[in-house]
Amino acid sequence: MRRRVAITGMGLVTCLGTGVDKNWNQLTCGQSGIRPITLFDPKRCQTRIAGEVPSEFDPLQYVPVKELRRLDRHQQIGLVAACEAVQASGLITPPADPYRYAVVIGSGIGGLSTIEAGYEVLREKGPKRMPPMMIPMAVVNLLPGLIAMRFGLKGPNFGIVNACASSASAIGEAYRLIASGSADVAITGGAEAVVGEFAISAFNALRALSTRNDEPAKASRPFDRDRDGFVLAEGAGMLTLESMDHAKSREATIHAEIVGYGATSDAYHVVMPDPNGAGASQAMRLAIQDAGIEPERVEYINAHGTSTELNDKTETLAIKSSFGKSAYKLSISSTKSMTGHTLGAAGAIEAIFTALTLESGMIPPTLNLDSPDPECDLNYTPNVRVNRSVEYAISNSFAFGGQNVSLLFRRP
Amino acid sequence: MDDIEKKIVDLVAEVLVDVNKENIRLDSKIVEDLGAESLDIYDMIALLEDEFGMEISDEEVEKIRTVQDVADFIKVSQKKS
Repeated sequence: MRRRVAITGMGLVTCLGTGVDKNWNQLTCGQSGIRPITLFDPKRCQTRIAGEVPSEFDPLQYVPVKELRRLDRHQQIGLVAACEAVQASGLITPPADPYRYAVVIGSGIGGLSTIEAGYEVLREKGPKRMPPMMIPMAVVNLLPGLIAMRFGLKGPNFGIVNACASSASAIGEAYRLIASGSADVAITGGAEAVVGEFAISAFNALRALSTRNDEPAKASRPFDRDRDGFVLAEGAGMLTLESMDHAKSREATIHAEIVGYGATSDAYHVVMPDPNGAGASQAMRLAIQDAGIEPERVEYINAHGTSTELNDKTETLAIKSSFGKSAYKLSISSTKSMTGHTLGAAGAIEAIFTALTLESGMIPPTLNLDSPDPECDLNYTPNVRVNRSVEYAISNSFAFGGQNVSLLFRRP
Repeated sequence: MDDIEKKIVDLVAEVLVDVNKENIRLDSKIVEDLGAESLDIYDMIALLEDEFGMEISDEEVEKIRTVQDVADFIKVSQKKS
């Protein structure tokens, strides 16, 4: 028997700020978090803008100073978002039945910035000077481990590495753990913080990033004719998932229900999506089948919408393929137009925005959509939020490597 | 405290950020009194080696108990070199 899965807590740290309320206010007002890079001197890079977590971010509120020193930045923001998600759920930790609590967390490149700094130490000072926390700060599975240690959660625990779909995969797998009865509660989501010379220049080498350095707030412009690539950003999104029975028995606030998960692979190319969007379209179809609903009942899609020509066109095609004529009735938006692209954290951040859309009846806008690409002719909610009461909504996440994940949510 | 001893207290305090620096004395036992665990020790060794430009072998580390032991070890090895 499949169990229903509820979202009972959420936590966010992005370039729009710390906390779910702050993020949602900024997002629905159409504020961009993209600014000139300050975390390193970007003068040698073609791209000199990014979505950095603002400097007022104060992890000491949640993380003891000694622990903080030993955490990579993605672990710091991930742990803070997890603290918000657990606190907001009202769950008491450590729990009495810790083996029923899972933690599943996604990150695309984990502690890349730590590796970058460690390699400089190795080159300049030699192997004997390597900082002892190099490995724990670098690997992706440490953040789920840290969350377990923090709250005393002893159930299934793992990290998922799936590029830009990492945390969408994490949420999907956590949903299945609860649906199948392997866990009653799961902390799930993702974190990414790789704004550094290494990642910026590596994505520049792939010609993937916007170089609109003079107009940072206008750089991420999904579905717009004048886009020139995605904008790299830091961020973390964490959710508390719970079996519906568990949530109801303790009278928890239910923000949304996860009702469908679809995962496919393009089997096509290293970094390009299948131009027909077949894999992406099938992921949406599988999520809809998993939920057991007619496609027409889905009214909002939080698009992957990276602001790259290839993604935006292919995703549009894939949506049309999954929804037929009713694709034109959908409200769609890409919140990456404001948060930038947080790689492995994007799926979780956008899952939270999708849940908030269901809860509030507000569709966040796609900022900077001034001159739509003629091949992108759906309703992407340009520039201003729209009030629309929605019962079912999808969040899409697609990865370099060809992985496609669609999550389907229902208003409680 | 001389300059070397003061520097060592600074480095110990840098690693054990949750310990009030005023409570770090020369006769403080690093593990028992200050609460250092294995990762803290590794961290301290890396910082000390970097600061004083020397190597501390794992055998030498085994003999060290107090902040004073660290200072003595560093002074002896500086005289040797």
